Amino acid sequence: MQELKRLYDRIVQRANINLRELEFDVNPYVQNLIPFEQMVKFYAFFGISPHHPLDFQFRRSNLAGSYFLGQCKVTNSLLYKSDIRGDELKKKGDLFQYQNFEIPVSRDEEIDIEDSMLIKTLVHNFSHDPETLETFFIRNTVAANYSNIHGSPSDGSFVGSFATVDLTTMRDCVIGNFAYLQAGEVSHLNIAPGTVWIRNPDEFNFMYQHPVEMLNDYIYFKAGVPPRGVFIDFVEDRKEAFQRVFDVVNIEHSTTVPSSASLDRYAVNKPPTHIGENVLVSQRAYLQNAWLGKGANAQENCYIINSRLEGYNVTAHGAKIIGADLGTNVFVGFNSFLRGAAGKGLTIGKDSIIMPHTIIDIRVPLNIPEGHLVWGMIKCKEDLDRHSISIEAFSKINSSFTMGNMFFEGNGGSFVGAFRDRIEHILEANGAFFNGSEKKGHAQKNQYISFNTLQPYPEGKNKGLYPTIVIKP
Amino acid sequence: MHYIVKNLMVPISDYATISEGSTLLEAVLSLENNRVEVSNTIYPHWIVLVLDSQNKVIGKLSQINVLRALEPESTHTELIEKLRDLGFSCKFITALREGGDSEKISLEEIYTDPKLMNMKVEDFMRKLAHNDFIDENTPLATAAHQMSVRQRLSMLVTRSGEVVGVLRLADVFNAVIQAIKTTQ
Repeated sequence: MQELKRLYDRIVQRANINLRELEFDVNPYVQNLIPFEQMVKFYAFFGISPHHPLDFQFRRSNLAGSYFLGQCKVTNSLLYKSDIRGDELKKKGDLFQYQNFEIPVSRDEEIDIEDSMLIKTLVHNFSHDPETLETFFIRNTVAANYSNIHGSPSDGSFVGSFATVDLTTMRDCVIGNFAYLQAGEVSHLNIAPGTVWIRNPDEFNFMYQHPVEMLNDYIYFKAGVPPRGVFIDFVEDRKEAFQRVFDVVNIEHSTTVPSSASLDRYAVNKPPTHIGENVLVSQRAYLQNAWLGKGANAQENCYIINSRLEGYNVTAHGAKIIGADLGTNVFVGFNSFLRGAAGKGLTIGKDSIIMPHTIIDIRVPLNIPEGHLVWGMIKCKEDLDRHSISIEAFSKINSSFTMGNMFFEGNGGSFVGAFRDRIEHILEANGAFFNGSEKKGHAQKNQYISFNTLQPYPEGKNKGLYPTIVIKP
Repeated sequence: MHYIVKNLMVPISDYATISEGSTLLEAVLSLENNRVEVSNTIYPHWIVLVLDSQNKVIGKLSQINVLRALEPESTHTELIEKLRDLGFSCKFITALREGGDSEKISLEEIYTDPKLMNMKVEDFMRKLAHNDFIDENTPLATAAHQMSVRQRLSMLVTRSGEVVGVLRLADVFNAVIQAIKTTQ
């Protein structure tokens, strides 16, 4: 196992060199996060299908429990129970639109992970950096439990637990726990835990800061202290259900799945559940007593429990919906945590947008009217009044707006429009609008994936390392 | 005339200095005295040099450092710093400041706060970096270039590693103008 330990030291050193200006040491955060023995225990697996490119190169790495799809290169890295999804990468000949430029893509894009450590991290989408169109790189980066690196090339950064970096190139940054950022390009920034920051220069700038004391009840993770809190308890309590899904070779779900929908074999499905047409349920999603109407989706690490989604709902990566009824076209952003009162108690009207990293955790029933924009931490009706606004009113903002810990500058219509466009794109990519012959998306294409497993050296100095593996069509 | 830095610098002996450990109030007074004493020259000195116990220069103190030190510290200040880091505009931040703590605290309260007035100079001076220094034999063009790209109003002039003077932007600019006139 000595090679595995050397690899760990190498990754930590490289991340720390990049983060020296911020005086940040990643070692005390991650040194006890994964016992090395665990890295030998789990197999890695990859998907093949006629609809996805196939090009994997794994060198001097540990891939324990991780899943790969598409085109991906991993070198000198530790990937623990992570999902590396290369099914939305750009293809040779595509035109990438950036400002007034239409930039041709010269070869198929690949995810390139080097000298990095990703723990239960989801890597998805494609590089939105116009300077690196063909490579979605992740270098010298350490990402902690349940973080999302979504369309965000990264160099020399640390991503905290349940943090999300979305469509942003980051260099030499520390992203705090449960922080969400979508800002195009950032460098040398230390983003505080619980910051939600969405910026499009010259258009809009949105920032919300979660109250840190209250956030600590949900996720607390600092040097020398492993992640803990409501979020961790919630996923740990449901870990066993996933264990069974990963242990069994052939798994049959008991729910009827329409031919236009997809329920991944690595998802947990606890009936009664209803899967409507064009529904997508991704791997590592968890359904229990859940009703999903036409075109709804549950992406990776989502939990939908005792809830009903009427249709065309986007439940973004890591979102959790418990005891809630959602109208049509409700968007629930990354890692949001919506927990109704005992039984059912939370209703969200159609066309509402629940911003990424929103926490709604109520003890008495709460009704969110249709067409509302919701953010922050909400525990009662008074909180809702301080953390929401009708989308129509928000769209009329043309200079600035402040409400509690939320600060907005720019054009509200542009902000809402960007969200609407993105929701439409996600639904389209997921196959929500499939009409039987056209507009296929993940829900239709993901039905034809077969899975293969990979294992590391079981003993010796290379114990835990996977041999060099190249997989091509 | 071919200027070099030592022709343009103000000798260190002509500069006001203050000792490490001095208070903000002493620093304010030294900046004021400094200006009065040299007010008969064209370009008064706007900074005071901070010396350690061995009389080595360890920092520079300007009016802006003092004004920053007088900013009220609060969670509101932290928030404003954060919004600035995250790209919010000056206009937005100014409006937020005016609606925040600064409106509720009178000038008298800030400027007579003993905690502020007794702050040590090393807590708010500008610490020196390697690019704050320039050798006394550096030609004018190079000095002008360095001040321009480093955006410095002054640099410390060294001779064999020892600080011997201060090169001021105003003197460099004046010399550049003279050089332009001479060549016309």
